[in-house]
Amino acid sequence: MSIAELEAREIALEPGQGGLWRDAWRRLRRNPGALIGFTLVGLFVVVALFASVIAPEDPRFGDLSRLGGSCCPGPSFDHWFGVDQQGRDVLSRIVFGARFSLLIGVVSVAVGLSLGLVLGSIAGYMGGIVDGIIMRLTDIMLSIPGLLLAIGIVAMLGPGLFQIMIAVGATQVPIFARLMRGSILAQRENDFVLAARAIGVPRRSILASHILPNAISPVIVQGTLALATAIIDVAGLGFLGLGPQDPSTPEWGTMLTDTTRYLQTAPHLAIIPGVAIIISVLGFNLIGDGLREALDPKLRGRG
Amino acid sequence: MAAHAGRWGCLSENGTPLVDVDELRVWFPIRSGVVLDRHVGDVKAVDGVSLQIRRGETLGLVGESGCGKSTVGRALLRLYEPTGGTITFDGQDITHLGERELRPLRKRMQMIFQDPYASLNPRHSVGRMVGEPLRVHKMGGRNLNKTVRELLATVGLPADAATRYPHEFSGGQRQRIGLARALALNPDFIVCDEPVSALDVSIQAQIVNLLELLQTEFDLTYLFIAHDLAVVRHISDRIAVMYLGQIMELSPGDDLYDNPLHPYTISLLSAIPIPDPEVERKRTSILLQGDLPSPSNPPHACRFHTRCPYVQPTRCRDEEPELRPVDTHLVKCHFAEEIKAGTLQPQQREVVFETPSAPAVWQPPPS
Repeated sequence: MSIAELEAREIALEPGQGGLWRDAWRRLRRNPGALIGFTLVGLFVVVALFASVIAPEDPRFGDLSRLGGSCCPGPSFDHWFGVDQQGRDVLSRIVFGARFSLLIGVVSVAVGLSLGLVLGSIAGYMGGIVDGIIMRLTDIMLSIPGLLLAIGIVAMLGPGLFQIMIAVGATQVPIFARLMRGSILAQRENDFVLAARAIGVPRRSILASHILPNAISPVIVQGTLALATAIIDVAGLGFLGLGPQDPSTPEWGTMLTDTTRYLQTAPHLAIIPGVAIIISVLGFNLIGDGLREALDPKLRGRG
Repeated sequence: MAAHAGRWGCLSENGTPLVDVDELRVWFPIRSGVVLDRHVGDVKAVDGVSLQIRRGETLGLVGESGCGKSTVGRALLRLYEPTGGTITFDGQDITHLGERELRPLRKRMQMIFQDPYASLNPRHSVGRMVGEPLRVHKMGGRNLNKTVRELLATVGLPADAATRYPHEFSGGQRQRIGLARALALNPDFIVCDEPVSALDVSIQAQIVNLLELLQTEFDLTYLFIAHDLAVVRHISDRIAVMYLGQIMELSPGDDLYDNPLHPYTISLLSAIPIPDPEVERKRTSILLQGDLPSPSNPPHACRFHTRCPYVQPTRCRDEEPELRPVDTHLVKCHFAEEIKAGTLQPQQREVVFETPSAPAVWQPPPS
């Protein structure tokens, strides 16, 4: 039997393994960190989606009689996370707050990622003067600290939920653009791109079907990590009073600000939203790290 | 001129060559500067290469790393923009054709790459990859899957390979996938850019035999780029030797090995080990001194004079030799005849290998 036949037989015996994505998913499932991340984020998403079912009360409903003269009653059987300074159920507010945090995180990252992706792809694939202009612009944006830039944009647009999303998204644009450009530059000189050109594949199809799918994995990793930063940034802007202007909106950052006055008497009012922020951010970070490992081409074929 | 001398030895008995390269130059600009890119020089990867490739032949192209042999192959397919010279494919000047005008020609010339890992898109299934050329040129139609299976069978892969991904295959099998992709459009001309260099020896033989088989079956013309002199000798009808972006010698395959005329070829061939210890111990091996000069600032006159064991005080350093016919060869050396006649001997740079007389065991130096 010739070596070629042996090899052919060997191939036939091996179980089908599918594509790179399936491969990555297989590795991801074996990564305990990523599994914890998926659990935390899954919890977060379920809570956000079914907030109206899970929450025992309307988050905006307050009953000052619950305060009983002091601020503020801690966790009890009726109110698991206690009651805030306006007699509202904290558990309900945390549950509905998940909805806002998730919405803001996803929308702002979507804004940042899509704009960054387009700019980075153009810069990376076109090169030359277009590349120069786009990259200098991103350098300018990157030279301003992210939160400061977001504050500046909110100050320009005025406070509010929608404005926060735009501002946080804008701070993510240069990060994604740089990452995408670098990734495209690395893929552009690959032999399979040259092979596609030799076949006569049009330039646009080469970018879409050969370069982008191979260049996208670091951007996906960055996307999950950016969700975490976006949640923190939004909470930070909320804390600075640039968040939703209706004070009854259950937003985690705003909840932190409102309760600073009661930190000495009722620390749970600050600790609980803080822990909620930490858990959601940790979840996304763990997924991001797991993805990075799973998509690393150097680990391909292992595990 | 050199170009006409080139035509003398290379024109086939039956008409025009399939590929005719005349004074091809491919220079890559070196840029520097923070704000404005200044053009500070060129890497002259290919600097005045003329060669003709006849229909149905295999032209071997050898040379050490960085001599520009891959660049020649890529420029022929217009994957790199030529800086100067002309490339004629089947009578048509393709040097300055645009992407759209080139597309119909892409069907007729294809490429196989050195690295079977980098040349296959890891995210595409084998079937998609092999079928891509057919889809791009709208040649597949309804029978696309059938054609892909036939192509895979032609290169010796099982039919179920189509649904698999490159990382599931070994190096030799990946090279077969690349070959199937190149064959899909039924080309006339294939540039084989070191197709076996990344494979281990047993697999090399398989791929080389497959290439030869396909050549007779599909009437292919190959430009076979390699640095393995034994493989090149086996597969090539004629061989061109490159050094620093220029062709030093071009001759029918066996003539080159039996009777090398250019000093560079002589030293290149003397580096091949002979699998007979008796002969190997006695024979003379020429070690070239120094490193390959930078292609951004190549030596004047004869490019090889800085390392040539036969270098002469006259001409070599101040007059560029032409690629001229000597016997059945084309040689770019002023003194090819003298070297051939044996009147010119290599100078002190010659190194004769002897059994080392020093003790093999390390001994402490005397204190």
